[in-house]
Amino acid sequence: NALIGTPDDCQPCPCPDRSSCAQIAQTGQVVCTNCPAGQTGIHCQMCDDGYYGDPLGTSGTARPCVRCNCNGNVDFNSVGTCDHATGRCLKCLGHTEGEHCQHCQRGYYGNALNQTASQKCKPCSCSTAGTSGHANECHPQTGNCHCLSHVTGRDCSHCEVGFFNLQPGLGCERCKCNPIGSLS
Amino acid sequence: RPRPDVTLPPGTHLLFAQSGRVEHVPLDGYDMKKNDAKPVLHLPGKVIIGVAFDCVEKMIYWTEITSPSISKASVDGGEPTAVIRSDLESPEGIAIDHLSRTMFWTDSMRDRIEVASLDGSQRRVLVDNDLVNPRAIIADPENGNLYWADWNRDAPKIETSYMDGSNRRVLVKDNLGLPNGLTYDYRSSLLCWADAGTHKLECVNPGRGDRSTVLEGIRYPFGITTVGKNIFYTDWQRDSVVGVDRYTGEESDEFHPQKRTRPYGITTAYAQCLSGQNYCSVN
Repeated sequence: NALIGTPDDCQPCPCPDRSSCAQIAQTGQVVCTNCPAGQTGIHCQMCDDGYYGDPLGTSGTARPCVRCNCNGNVDFNSVGTCDHATGRCLKCLGHTEGEHCQHCQRGYYGNALNQTASQKCKPCSCSTAGTSGHANECHPQTGNCHCLSHVTGRDCSHCEVGFFNLQPGLGCERCKCNPIGSLS
Repeated sequence: RPRPDVTLPPGTHLLFAQSGRVEHVPLDGYDMKKNDAKPVLHLPGKVIIGVAFDCVEKMIYWTEITSPSISKASVDGGEPTAVIRSDLESPEGIAIDHLSRTMFWTDSMRDRIEVASLDGSQRRVLVDNDLVNPRAIIADPENGNLYWADWNRDAPKIETSYMDGSNRRVLVKDNLGLPNGLTYDYRSSLLCWADAGTHKLECVNPGRGDRSTVLEGIRYPFGITTVGKNIFYTDWQRDSVVGVDRYTGEESDEFHPQKRTRPYGITTAYAQCLSGQNYCSVN
């Protein structure tokens, strides 16, 4: 307040890079009005939408505001794609999930980091007949479903060699071929 | 095409959101008085997306996504008041019907369009199917229509319905990319949109269905609003508000706020409500 008449009337703004500030008349609170790029908050202590970090180190080591890292699994036309402090991605697409959309969702398998949509996260779609678990339970990377005894295939859809008659909940039966009359 | 030579009522200004602030830019005729731009709302750490203005009570309404909510405050300053705080995930577009005292908004995570009284009461879901990324929403209370855009990358579209959600129809679905912003001009009965995918400003007469391009080659529009013969839009790559003459299709003005960050929603605030006096007095 320049009107008091003491040498300390005007103080530097508590804002990074000598950016401007304003004092709120009612409360006397000083608010930074032009934070550096990517930064926001009363003292520019937070990151703007689309960025994350802790630029002033208010909760530990200072981390500059950097762009959200969601492994290409958020749409750049979205708003609010990551948490401004932790960087946790909030709008993962393509059946991905995780802090940085780096995993496939439950019920999907593949490589969440693959940029080709068809190679990304595919549904487990386990065969209901040949699976001992749920149709959407499979290995997150390989996609292998939990097969009943003597059932095989990624999705447990057919019998092992030497077995036949896939029955839901039971699995496959051994072929009872006479070794003498069989070719295999 | 006729060029309506209307004088804007004094006191018309633009309101746009940027980095937790709503900035106020007075208009002098069709030019932005950039030196007189000032923030009317400063909510550090918040992310304001949509902005709407109630010309009756001179209140700004906005959507905010960090603690998803819809709030209001007087355009002359004053404490913000939350009107909707629950059951929101990513509220983005907001529109006001100043005649029936209601507001409409889109939520791009709940994939819904909702309506409530301006005080937050009588909340109701209007549309909750066939929406993927609903964003912009516009009310035309004079004719009882609602318009919204869905930037779904697989099937972007601009839709309309009556203000109770009935008679829903797709208005535009061909040659759309990312229709982020919508605006309706009462005088010309044109619905215009800004598309960040096709990089075009286009308009359609919702009754007749004829479509025309205002300007091509724009960068990355987000919000859009109409003021007489001009369109103003916010741009994510230029970090500015750009003015375009709708009739010549030429860029007429640009405002670069000091803050270099993405601007979001934009709306026009008239000193008086356009209906009645202003709407008829120009004819």
